[in-house]
Amino acid sequence: MKLTRISEALWEIPQTGEMRVPGRIYASEHMIQDLRDDPALEQVANVACLPGIIGYSLAMPDIHWGYGFPIGGVAAVDAEEGVISPGGVGYDINCGVRLVRTHLQASAIESKVDRLADALFKKIPAGVGSFGAIPGLTVDQLKEVATKGAEWALANGYATRRDLDHTEEGGRLRFADADAITEHAYRRGAKQLGTLGSGNHFLEIGKVDQIYDQKAADALDLEPGSIAVLIHSGSRGLGHQTCDDYLKVIGGAMSQYGIRLPDRQLAAVPIDSSEGRSYIGAMAAAANFAWCNRQVMMHLVEQAFLETLETTPRELSFALIYDVCHNIAKFEEHEFKGRKHRVCVHRKGATRAFAAGNPALPEALRAIGQPVLIPGDMGRYSFVAIGLPGAMRETFGSSCHGAGRVMGRIKAKKAMAGRNLVAELKARGVVVRAHSRGGIAEEMPDAYKDVADVVEVMEIAGVTRRVARLKPMIVIKG
Amino acid sequence: MMADVTDSAPNDSELFREFEHTGDIGIEIDAPTRSELFRRAAIALGAVMVERKTVKASEERHLQIEAVHDIERMHDMLSHLLDLFIVEGFVWRDASVVESDSELKIVLRGESFDPNRHDFRGEVKAITYHQLTVAPDSSGWHARIILDV
Repeated sequence: MKLTRISEALWEIPQTGEMRVPGRIYASEHMIQDLRDDPALEQVANVACLPGIIGYSLAMPDIHWGYGFPIGGVAAVDAEEGVISPGGVGYDINCGVRLVRTHLQASAIESKVDRLADALFKKIPAGVGSFGAIPGLTVDQLKEVATKGAEWALANGYATRRDLDHTEEGGRLRFADADAITEHAYRRGAKQLGTLGSGNHFLEIGKVDQIYDQKAADALDLEPGSIAVLIHSGSRGLGHQTCDDYLKVIGGAMSQYGIRLPDRQLAAVPIDSSEGRSYIGAMAAAANFAWCNRQVMMHLVEQAFLETLETTPRELSFALIYDVCHNIAKFEEHEFKGRKHRVCVHRKGATRAFAAGNPALPEALRAIGQPVLIPGDMGRYSFVAIGLPGAMRETFGSSCHGAGRVMGRIKAKKAMAGRNLVAELKARGVVVRAHSRGGIAEEMPDAYKDVADVVEVMEIAGVTRRVARLKPMIVIKG
Repeated sequence: MMADVTDSAPNDSELFREFEHTGDIGIEIDAPTRSELFRRAAIALGAVMVERKTVKASEERHLQIEAVHDIERMHDMLSHLLDLFIVEGFVWRDASVVESDSELKIVLRGESFDPNRHDFRGEVKAITYHQLTVAPDSSGWHARIILDV
């Protein structure tokens, strides 16, 4: 794949063949060397073939091989003349991360880490062979969740108004159409509200170990040495089935709109088509389920803290800093080359990263910019960053979403053969509990890029700036 | 045509092999016949999620897939099986497959999932269409499937 260097941290795939725009990849020189023969670059070029795409098919530095879109891919398409692609959102619709701060110092829980890990492991189900916190919801109840999102959690005692204010879109996409989700998808989600899932999903208790931007850290109320919580999960089976259902519908309808694409997993139809409108309504409904899911889990985590540490809500001061989604398509207004466009931004493994002053941000955060939550692997660290004006100019307000895998799962399992990762992590000060055997070996720290390198690329590019670093103390895996 | 197996089923490695996909799981299957290919794929999906040796073949579940084209048939069969695990909590040790021009009949032998007894390897979110292949080759039939995990 031919690549041209545009600047220190930006590379371009020139527009050729069926591509409607060039591809652009944010990466260091070292990262790009590793990527040269990776199928992910071909996927960047494939995404550039989508009708209505504006500017570039973008990839963030955590790019890796996905299906259809690369993970870390961003595509903004014209909201009137462009297409919507379920593959540009992914199976786990509104997979995302939330960050909670506490006023507890890490030193206060050091002697109780194992007990807290056990309590969290018991309280937060993985979702297979177990019920969520809210067992057996009916289809009507699930439709209410899919319509109201985190507002359902508020109405049912699992959230505060402040939590919703600190959630992207207030935890509810109002164009959700609960009737556009199949009963089949509801059946898959019926027992899963308040469950973590497996794969790369996790719950992490960490401490704030470094501050890079004191003013922003103060605004976010992140104190050095304090305990913070990261929850990474999505829309569970309800979202997975919704994506699958619409890949079939949209894959079958594409030809009637004269759309031909190089990968079936990229299947797309015009936004302004009955299939397109239906998918967008269903996607938003699944996204709402995901926000409610993360909100319910946050409530369970707070309960586990209160019960195990025998502290009070006031002392604990458990408060949501922000919740971001990183698998979604959103309608936004962006300026590109001096022209304003209303676009549908597909973010597949990419986080919205709006700069300070954006009216979409809650008032408390508007002066500093949107928090961007970038988890690393379970042995090293995660970062909190904020969106910068460069994101609005260059990436349709988007940044990276994590470290990005560099090692496949087979290689990771081979690398872990004969080793005890749980014991190794314990020696590094990280207590791990996992519901599945595979969850541990495949998620070994070496399977991921160093997230510090990923975050640095985004900072060099002027897209996001680091605010704080978190070091894991407890990791719960599905 | 029918492909069947008894409890003396071969090891996973004789039925399918995993191939490297950076973020997800890829499986490749070779079989002498198309129905055996589908049978091995059904077993492979179960084995990716739960260690087969820990599963008893004490109950049967019957499924019917109506898709005509091989790609759709493979996708739909595996998606239905995934459903069986996620919605009904059924895990299987082996399978039989009978195919005709218009449908695929699958019989699974297994039991209800018990997290205390079964070795759970991880959840599969979906059967992707990405590079999904079902085709004859010089030694029989070949399938290539990427599972989103």
